Amino acid sequence: MHKLSLHTIALSVATLCSSGLAIAQESAKVVDKPLTLTVHLHDKKFTYDSNWPVEKEAARLTGISLKDVTIGNTPDSNEAFNLMIASGNLPDIVGGKAVKRNLNRYGPEGAFIPLQDLIKEHAPNIYAQMQARPQVFNSAKAGDGNLYYVPYLTDGKYGRGYFMRTDWLDKLGLKVPQNIDELYTVLTAFRNEDPNGNGKKDEIPAFFRNWQEVLRLVTFWDGRTSGSDTYHDFHVKDGKIKHGYAGAGYKLGMKNIAKWYKEGLIDPEVFTRGSRAREFLLANDLGGFTHDWFASTASYNDSLKDKVKGFKLEAIIPPASISGVRMEEHRRIPIKPEGWGISYSNKHPIESIKYMDFWWSEEGRRLANFGIEGKQYNLVDGKAIFTKEFLENARPVNSQLTDIGAQVRRGFWQDYNYEIQWTNKFALEGIKLYDQGDYLVDQFLGVAFNEKEQATSDKYWSGIQTYMLEKQQSWVLATSDVDADWDNYLVQLDKLGFNKVLTAMQSAYDRQYGK
Amino acid sequence: MQNIQQYTSRIMRHIRAEWQLYLLLAPTIIWFIVFLYVPMYGLQIAFKDYSIFKGVAASPWVGLEHFYTLFESEQFMRAIKNTLILSGYNLLFGFPMPIILALGFNEFTKAFFKRTAQTVVYLPHFISTVIIAGIVMSVFSPSVGVVNLLLVQMGFDSVYFLVQPEWFRPIFIGTGIWQEAGFTSIVFLAAIAGVNPSLYESALVDGANRWQMMWRITLPSILPTIIIMLIIRIGNILEVGFELIILLYQPSTYETADVISTYVYRQGLQNAQYDLAAAAGFFNAVVAFVLVLTANTISKRVTKTSLW
Amino acid sequence: MSGVSLSKMTKRYGIVEVVRGIDLEIKPQEFVVLVGPSGCGKSTTLRMIAGLEEISDGTVKIGDRVINEVAPKDRDVAMVFQNYALYPHLSVFENIAFGLRIRKVDKKVITQSVNDVANTLGLTEYLERKPADLSGGQRQRVAMGRAIVRHPKIFLFDEPLSNLDAKLRTQMRAEIKRLHKRLKVTSIYVTHDQIEAMTLADRIVVMNDGRIEQIGTPMELFNNPVNTFVAGFIGSPPMNQLNAIVNDVDGRLVAKVGNSLITLPKIKALANSSNREVIVGIRPEHVLLQASATSSPIAIELELVETLGSEALLHTQIAKTPFVVKAETRFGDVSHLDKVTTLHIEPDLIKVFDADTGMALATAIQD
Repeated sequence: MHKLSLHTIALSVATLCSSGLAIAQESAKVVDKPLTLTVHLHDKKFTYDSNWPVEKEAARLTGISLKDVTIGNTPDSNEAFNLMIASGNLPDIVGGKAVKRNLNRYGPEGAFIPLQDLIKEHAPNIYAQMQARPQVFNSAKAGDGNLYYVPYLTDGKYGRGYFMRTDWLDKLGLKVPQNIDELYTVLTAFRNEDPNGNGKKDEIPAFFRNWQEVLRLVTFWDGRTSGSDTYHDFHVKDGKIKHGYAGAGYKLGMKNIAKWYKEGLIDPEVFTRGSRAREFLLANDLGGFTHDWFASTASYNDSLKDKVKGFKLEAIIPPASISGVRMEEHRRIPIKPEGWGISYSNKHPIESIKYMDFWWSEEGRRLANFGIEGKQYNLVDGKAIFTKEFLENARPVNSQLTDIGAQVRRGFWQDYNYEIQWTNKFALEGIKLYDQGDYLVDQFLGVAFNEKEQATSDKYWSGIQTYMLEKQQSWVLATSDVDADWDNYLVQLDKLGFNKVLTAMQSAYDRQYGK
Repeated sequence: MQNIQQYTSRIMRHIRAEWQLYLLLAPTIIWFIVFLYVPMYGLQIAFKDYSIFKGVAASPWVGLEHFYTLFESEQFMRAIKNTLILSGYNLLFGFPMPIILALGFNEFTKAFFKRTAQTVVYLPHFISTVIIAGIVMSVFSPSVGVVNLLLVQMGFDSVYFLVQPEWFRPIFIGTGIWQEAGFTSIVFLAAIAGVNPSLYESALVDGANRWQMMWRITLPSILPTIIIMLIIRIGNILEVGFELIILLYQPSTYETADVISTYVYRQGLQNAQYDLAAAAGFFNAVVAFVLVLTANTISKRVTKTSLW
Repeated sequence: MSGVSLSKMTKRYGIVEVVRGIDLEIKPQEFVVLVGPSGCGKSTTLRMIAGLEEISDGTVKIGDRVINEVAPKDRDVAMVFQNYALYPHLSVFENIAFGLRIRKVDKKVITQSVNDVANTLGLTEYLERKPADLSGGQRQRVAMGRAIVRHPKIFLFDEPLSNLDAKLRTQMRAEIKRLHKRLKVTSIYVTHDQIEAMTLADRIVVMNDGRIEQIGTPMELFNNPVNTFVAGFIGSPPMNQLNAIVNDVDGRLVAKVGNSLITLPKIKALANSSNREVIVGIRPEHVLLQASATSSPIAIELELVETLGSEALLHTQIAKTPFVVKAETRFGDVSHLDKVTTLHIEPDLIKVFDADTGMALATAIQD
């Protein structure tokens, strides 16, 4: 480590002197003589292929080509990583899924090299983003404060939104609910007034593909469920780490969810219906209200328009909570635990980081997002626009892109424009609707524990979460009563180490995000 | 010293003379070494702060820390309890089923019916657990499940079986029986096929009816097989169907459904705590070993049948 | 005690007939042995009587009752199996008691009966043992004990001794005979061993290919086999059979065997024969080494002398046909037998069979 930083300083001096020249050249060339680096990049959806057109283009531009040495014939990226690291033979570059957890664990043990200094010296494009979004990059750091991987940054804000069968509203003469009471009225009407008109009381007013989304309803009673796109996660309020399931509003929320569940406003099978729930309930004209991803949910307006007469499933802005707050708790996370890092055995760290930086340059970012100019897209007014043939191909756009090596989980910066071009118009309308208000809440991007904090979390957190979920479901199903349980619940949480975990989280948070 | 030399040379001579037999034995021995004895070296991570990068040898010792972590947890104790209860029920209800099935099959006189019935009960064994879980979920679904449709037909309220802790055990045990009883019955059928047919003829002349033949001849004749199977089963008592539980349980049913393996899965593997998982696995193995030892000893004393 | 009567009893498996309409009357208390080569249908016959095989055609009566449709347990028969059919998990006592327990006989009666039987069979000290701890002969005794203890009307034995070694077999044979004398239960005994048949039976039934060849007392079969099959089956070694051509020479029947001429007994069916082909049957025991007044000489080629002790077997050839002779030794000395070149045959001891049908040609008629 010590040796390395000396080395870095020496190099940085050299680069400073020559940087003027580099910019003048405007070339993406990293090396004059072609260099091949080995790479482990695991994703269950594809195997890394150096013959990808995008990859070959990058090799042509930078002079560096990657040779795939990914180990592990398994869909599980963690397993693949374990196999790779257990073999003791680390490739030059390690990336793909599950990178954050593994690199931040084995980086401090010496398996991967810290990148922040290298980036500062040799990767101007990445460095620019680091400067612009320090919080995001901070969240990628390991417990020792070092950055071990160049992350994959996503783009676009919205993930899930509230969707409602607005044709049912029209049919029953109701308006889009603006607050929790109106939502209750609407759902009750869905339940009782036969909006699908089949004479049977078979409507499922509120349904969810992921049962965890039921809990999201607590936000209507000013509760919280998660601060990130991971369920049951912590969130931050005024610089303090909190957990929704021990917070204000949660108790009241659970009480009301139980009431709704009992009254049949929530899918009685919500816990076991599984991922087919949305498809099944919408196609059979049964479901009325849900909280789900914009693009995929809106697409039912197209796919079901012939099957269900008058089908209109539109995004509605979040109804106001009891205190009048409109909140959309879920959003796209700006940074994924994916990307790539440099192993300790890499003999060309500088070339490697320069190569990684290439993908963050304008040219490289376009390559990573859209593919190759003239083939997948054309530049129109400086913007990459997919060709008509490409968009109209029967194979889904994202699959086509993966096929050529674009939008794969290297450390790159996603451009949402790539997605907008093939997003359904109902979804775009919904997103526009959400854009008019300010419903999103701040995100908790996670913390990197030091060893002691990690031990605390490992020891207690799983047990706490188990207990939380257990109680939660029993309250919803009314096998026990939240009012009666609550005090004991809090005592139990503390006994299970909840406050110890909170303290550990807080200290890690303060260290990482500079309090 | 000279003795040892003589001894080894005698062994070598023997191996040379009987090399074909040793060759046949080799794959089994190699299999045991590669897949059972070599991994035993890795068992030590149960007592270490294990890092894959550092490797087994270089990871520091932490003594019994992982075991403390496990046993300090009420949820782990609950998981042990659930494991024992589930496997106890499994043994109680699941073990006799294949025997009953085999005895039943033996009573079919028409070969066609026998074959058909056997195929029908073997089938679930070949279905993957994921699909089995899917079938169970839909069968017990409150809205479209057969069970609830029947309940409603008979004038009962429908029950959301899969989120009720008190229903988890019957459903899990029942599913296990449905899935495996038929296939396991093959062993007993084979044992029954090995019973000397003249025993039945003799009993027939003596005046025994089919029921008496089953009780007095078939069952006692396959008793050694039953006991061996029972001992093996007891050895696996802590290995309840992990996959099926993961697929079927809900937080609301943890109370009855959470077993050691699922606990370890949540606690350990999801956070890559292999050392902790190894500790739990080690504990599992020790308990299983003691159980087998006990069962075998008891069986040896009582029935003179034993694994070794 | 009841007799057994079979009438046109037939067993078919599909189109294959294994027992082809057997008629047999067994008198009460009689010991009848069914004997024949394997596959002759003797065991099937026994199993039909026991009720273990369905009867395809014909009837079986025990006493006056037709039992075709009667379940095995209600036929009041007991059967002893070749492989003993002992229950390996039960003690000797329980094995013997099995039938009684099934019939829910009073416990005290069971104990008494089993002890009696064990006493009879010399099994008393083995009652607590398991079959696996017994010798072959003991197991066989237990198997018989199981049959005896129920006091059935009929005993059925299915080759009960064939799993025993020769010495034990002789011993058990005698024991079975003694038991029958004592219990006087009608017994049907199946074997392929003609010595067992000869020694045990009141009457022997020789079977072949699903049919009865001959029924008779052992000596009847020995002396007057009705055909070449029975002649070849009964006796040890069996009767020699030689092809011969018969001529009636002035009222005297002369058979030409190879180059020798043998005088035959007077047989009506052969009167006035000229060059008629027959089979001449001569028992090995009935050959003379010295000429008598009435005997005919016959030239032989001696191949081998087998010494059995007081007797010896001479393996010879007559006109290229094997011919066995049983002769006495002189206290074990066989030197006088080594040089035999001519045998002498007494006409009255010769059996004559039709060459085409194999049937015996009437018995010799004495003048």
